[in-house]
Amino acid sequence: MQIESHYKKFTLLLVFVAALILVAATNADPVYTDPYKLEYPDYFGNRISIPDHNPTTKQGVYLGRMLFYETKLSSSKTISCASCHQQKLAFTDGKAFSSGINNVPTKRNSMSLANLLWVRNFFWDGRAKGLEAQAIIPLNDAHEMGAYLDKAVKDLQKTKNYPALFNDAFGSPDVTKDRIAMAIAQFERTLISANSPYDKYLRGEYKPTAAELNGMEMFMNSAEANKNIRGASCAQCHGTPKIYMELFHNNGLDSIPKDLGRESLTGMANDRGRFRVVTLRNIELTAPYMHDGRFKNLEEVLDHYNEHIMPSKSLSVTLQNRPNDVDGKSLGLTATEKANIISFLKMLTDSTFVNNPKFSNPHIKQK
Amino acid sequence: MKKYYLSTIVLALLFFITISQSVHAQTVAKEAVVKVEGEVLKPLSLSLSDFAKLKHVDVTMKSREGVLQQYSGVPIFDLLRLAGVTVGKELKGENLTKYMLVRSSDGYEVVFSLAELDPSFTNRVVILADSKDGKPLADGVGPFRLVVPDENKPARSALEVTNLIIRFAKD
Ligand code: HEC
Ligand code: HEC
Repeated sequence: MQIESHYKKFTLLLVFVAALILVAATNADPVYTDPYKLEYPDYFGNRISIPDHNPTTKQGVYLGRMLFYETKLSSSKTISCASCHQQKLAFTDGKAFSSGINNVPTKRNSMSLANLLWVRNFFWDGRAKGLEAQAIIPLNDAHEMGAYLDKAVKDLQKTKNYPALFNDAFGSPDVTKDRIAMAIAQFERTLISANSPYDKYLRGEYKPTAAELNGMEMFMNSAEANKNIRGASCAQCHGTPKIYMELFHNNGLDSIPKDLGRESLTGMANDRGRFRVVTLRNIELTAPYMHDGRFKNLEEVLDHYNEHIMPSKSLSVTLQNRPNDVDGKSLGLTATEKANIISFLKMLTDSTFVNNPKFSNPHIKQK
Repeated sequence: MKKYYLSTIVLALLFFITISQSVHAQTVAKEAVVKVEGEVLKPLSLSLSDFAKLKHVDVTMKSREGVLQQYSGVPIFDLLRLAGVTVGKELKGENLTKYMLVRSSDGYEVVFSLAELDPSFTNRVVILADSKDGKPLADGVGPFRLVVPDENKPARSALEVTNLIIRFAKD
């Protein structure tokens, strides 16, 4: 009798525990989050990349913005993503090579972070697939942020504010490496630049000057000397209203490149000196130019395309034999045409983007 | 005696394995290949020498300047059949919503519907070429390029082709 009742109590306890576990398990219902509406013009098209496991939410984006500006993610507690990606410079840093921890310069020029929603292969050589995978790289880089990610996870867990922010975004207060990357990626997807004078022109709200119009035509058209059509073929690589196409080209910087670019990734000789054709949006703000920041200003860039294309086996076909003059050897743009193309490039400067308070440092208290 | 015999074989094997690996390590320069993948029964990865063994046909196409050029290569249809893609008798019903995404090493991409490539639908033969006027394709063009005859713009005759990807059009 005694024993039996003990058994009963024990079974009761078991049932109780099992019920508790079940309740706990089913209680893990989806986190309450508000979807973040990504707004962009129709002419950008919808070939965007958002992984199913990381939908963009208001809570996630806010957490991502906090983390993007968070110096606690670096070993010295002085470097954040924003050190090398500053909003006022369209998320670049104005240097040929950036310096992170220990002032060891990066191997390549910092990249503008605009309209990344339409990019599939990140970095100058396209080596990172997706923004989540990309974010882990600087966090784990010894020179950029001091390879501090594992420790940063623990540090953030101990802070007053972060566990609650992770809870809001992901449904539990656990800080993890993946969640850090996911939140940063969500924030980066919101960095959409679509309100430049060029956008206003496309929407019929801005009348370009004569110089801008001629520059636009030169940028968009390819030369056909025998038909007297002038052009600079820029849009062959930098085309579409996004002024971005996901292509990799050798644009004739060197005959023997110091940095092999995409070849170091693929091992293919035809990828030698090939780099991603990057966005030209906000290009006026993102000097110096190219993967190694070799050109100080847009004048030098235009001189390059017009007069200094270096031949090699992997030089893009588009940059060979497109003269504006019959039998011409180089592109053959006039000084005025070069200046006009630069006027057009300046139409891509989006002051709304670089001043948007939604993209600014949330750690600084607004007055 | 038997023991010695066995261990000699094992030693010899080990020797060959190490040798073949070091030889392999020396040939790091990668050979260009074209891959046929996606909705296929048998994914293919063809090097120039594999490709040379396939039956070739000649096709002419106008260059951007309007000059007729003769290319030699393998009909895309043959490559698709080799990879077990639903062409020919099987190209009906939902298979008609399949497309071929052509990708080049510079990231350039164009698409064709399968019906555009199948002789039961069209007489136009699209080929993947590996030579022009009897010579290997130039740098920046080859080793493989698409040749799409009778098209007003050469934009789909993609250069430096690396992947033919078969997919279903979804939603
Ligand atoms: C020390 C400077 C530095 C820091 C810190 C840094 N970056 Fe970068 N970032 C770079 C450089 C340099 C590149 C280009 C590197 C390359 O291509 O190899 C780059 C490239 C990128 C790109 C690729 C953009 C594109 O169009 O492909 C993204 C996205 C990016 N960084 C996001 C971040 C994030 C998120 C952080 C913080 C977690 C971060 N960066 C921290 C210097 C930095
Ligand atoms: C064959 C393709 C191609 C053509 C045509 C082309 N570009 Fe580029 N462009 C590139 C590539 C690739 C890069 C990045 C190269 C690098 O950094 O090594 C680039 C970089 C640039 C940059 C610097 C971007 C940055 O953030 O540093 C500018 C500015 C630019 N191009 C302007 C132009 C203009 C203007 C034209 C027309 C005169 C033009 N491009 C034609 C492929 C091209």
